[in-house]
Amino acid sequence: MDGVPGKFDVVVVGAGPAGSAAAYLLAKAGFKVLILERGRGAGSKELFGGKVYAPPLRDVWPGLDKEAPIHRWVTRERISFVRGSRVATIEYSLGRRVGFTTYLPELAKWMSDKAVEAGAVLVDEVRVDEIVVRDGRIVGVRSGPDTVEADVVVDAEGVNRLLLERLGLVERLNPSYVALGVKEVLNVGKGTIEERFALPKGEGLAWMVAGDVTAGIPGGGFIYTMKDTIAIGLVLHIGKAMEKAEAGQINKHVSRILEEFRLHPYFKQFWKDADVMEYGAHMTIEGGLRMVPKRLYAPGLVIVGDAAGLLLNTGYTVRGVDFAVASGRIAAEAIIEAFNRGGPTEENLRLYEERLKESFVWRELVRHRWIGRGMEDECYFTSMPGVLIRILEKLYEADYEEPTLIDALLESLAEEDISLTKLIMKLGSVVSKL
Amino acid sequence: MRIVVGIKWVPNTQAVRFDPKTGTLIRTGVPAIVNPHDLPAAELALRLRDEYGGEVIVLTMAPPPAVQGLEHILGMGADKAVLLTDRAFAGADTLATSYVIAEGIRKIEREIGKVDLAVFGQETIDSSTAHIGAQVASWLGWPYIYYVKNAKMVNGALRVERQLENAVETFDVGLPAVVSVAMKALKARPVRLSHKLRVKLEKPIIVWSNKDLGLDPRCVGLKGSPTIVSKVTYLPEVPRRKIVYKPKDPRDAARWILAQLFQDEKTREALHKALWG
Repeated sequence: MDGVPGKFDVVVVGAGPAGSAAAYLLAKAGFKVLILERGRGAGSKELFGGKVYAPPLRDVWPGLDKEAPIHRWVTRERISFVRGSRVATIEYSLGRRVGFTTYLPELAKWMSDKAVEAGAVLVDEVRVDEIVVRDGRIVGVRSGPDTVEADVVVDAEGVNRLLLERLGLVERLNPSYVALGVKEVLNVGKGTIEERFALPKGEGLAWMVAGDVTAGIPGGGFIYTMKDTIAIGLVLHIGKAMEKAEAGQINKHVSRILEEFRLHPYFKQFWKDADVMEYGAHMTIEGGLRMVPKRLYAPGLVIVGDAAGLLLNTGYTVRGVDFAVASGRIAAEAIIEAFNRGGPTEENLRLYEERLKESFVWRELVRHRWIGRGMEDECYFTSMPGVLIRILEKLYEADYEEPTLIDALLESLAEEDISLTKLIMKLGSVVSKL
Repeated sequence: MRIVVGIKWVPNTQAVRFDPKTGTLIRTGVPAIVNPHDLPAAELALRLRDEYGGEVIVLTMAPPPAVQGLEHILGMGADKAVLLTDRAFAGADTLATSYVIAEGIRKIEREIGKVDLAVFGQETIDSSTAHIGAQVASWLGWPYIYYVKNAKMVNGALRVERQLENAVETFDVGLPAVVSVAMKALKARPVRLSHKLRVKLEKPIIVWSNKDLGLDPRCVGLKGSPTIVSKVTYLPEVPRRKIVYKPKDPRDAARWILAQLFQDEKTREALHKALWG
């Protein structure tokens, strides 16, 4: 193995939001920081639905609102339940600017530029093959024949954490803890978003879709308005999709399922005459706390972002980028403090895990810890939206006589093969878990 | 051995789409890459340096973002990079481009040292002219060999294998010379952390403007380009449709597919007879 000239205080693996937040704060504090990124340029491997919660990002970059590549501030949230061509929608008009839409490659590039401006060195097109351990502590990383040494390695490698797996800190990725996100960017032409979605100028919409758009696989659909484009996509539970495929219940390529969503008779009107500009897919976390490694630190190592399993998908919101940035910030603060206390020993780096577990990130994950498991119960994705749509159908599509609400409910339940007790239990368990 | 590798920073044509109305490329938002056919050229240069010593200098004429492309070749192990960049160079055809590149090589000879070999890719993915290597050789008055698949030094000359469709020619050529490497002839080595890190820490990229080269502005860029692209014709995409035709008798299937392929009934029947008797 060839040593690389110059030792760094910190090597960050991955120039995503978590890695760049940590690198930025550490470089600003005077640390010698190296960021290693596998893609060509920071952000090139990123993919997400479309919305980011701003407050945790402002903690790191106070100039965020003015400087970051923000497409639209989300002022409308919609949730739709779908069965066939029938759709029931709830819309909420926000009073505050909390989240914005963006392309993650653009935002991650901006974050990494900030880190480089602060003095971090970014090396892209380089894959890290191994986190190097010597005498029981992490001393650097290896890429091909080259090893670069560092006092601390920040593992921000993302959801497919092969380095941590190789290090024995996490088990092989369990398909039940992850979902496949597939996404298309639709070009609808400049200046038409507002008209299509009845939005005030410059404002944006985040839209979650539940029901049979996922072809019976637990998950959901999303629609986000970008500056001049629309991002649409699906999140599909991989473990359940595999089970269904093996059982012969489903035999469709994900691109087909996504295409059917794009061509859905109700939704397609919003992107009439659009071209598909981009198609992409990425793995995302569904496991809630189950994806979190047993420990988030080791001598000379901290784990942040998706690699640390820090993502929450409640079904109505998805928190990933902001959790990643917060974990990067907490890691940077803990590393700075560890050095003040005499070095990045195991004992001193424990600070990171302690502080993370005191933070909103952890509280959110704990508060919603049952949701990941609920994701595995198909009835929330198929029969529940089905019942709602059937009720509305009976109420609004009657020719002469419309049923009472209770009759509509009971009939709909019977049609979806759900008993009233089961419904009450399911709803009860949802309410108690929320 | 001092070897110059010429590269082009091109839009990734796999991500480029045509505007059917204007017949031009939609380049906005399209990521740029090093012309893929230049990578075997860089690989050949690096192999020769590794074998015989010396240095590899990667050279391009491009706007400043092409630094990323130079960094890629430096990441593979090139020693130095030269970016020839000037607003005056914009809009150049192959004549004006090759002139600037050749003058860049002359300046490398004046400032850094004698150049033994200039290596180019077969052609670029965004214009496919395959002119640059030949034209640079003409400007410099050096011999030129193209479709090169490999090279080595034999008795002070470069022994070059030239890949033809179904033959390989071998030439011994005196140096200095210019070669263009056949596309896909050699697999490019991956970028290495240590090289890339050196790029970031030492910044070994030399930037020369037209002031540094001292060329007549009438001979570079758009002004120095006699080529006129009079028209670009857009070939509309043929929509593909999957059809499954499954008759009981495979001969009917043959007849059917011939009917799809050949409109002329006589040809069709003759072919069918030849195939199925």
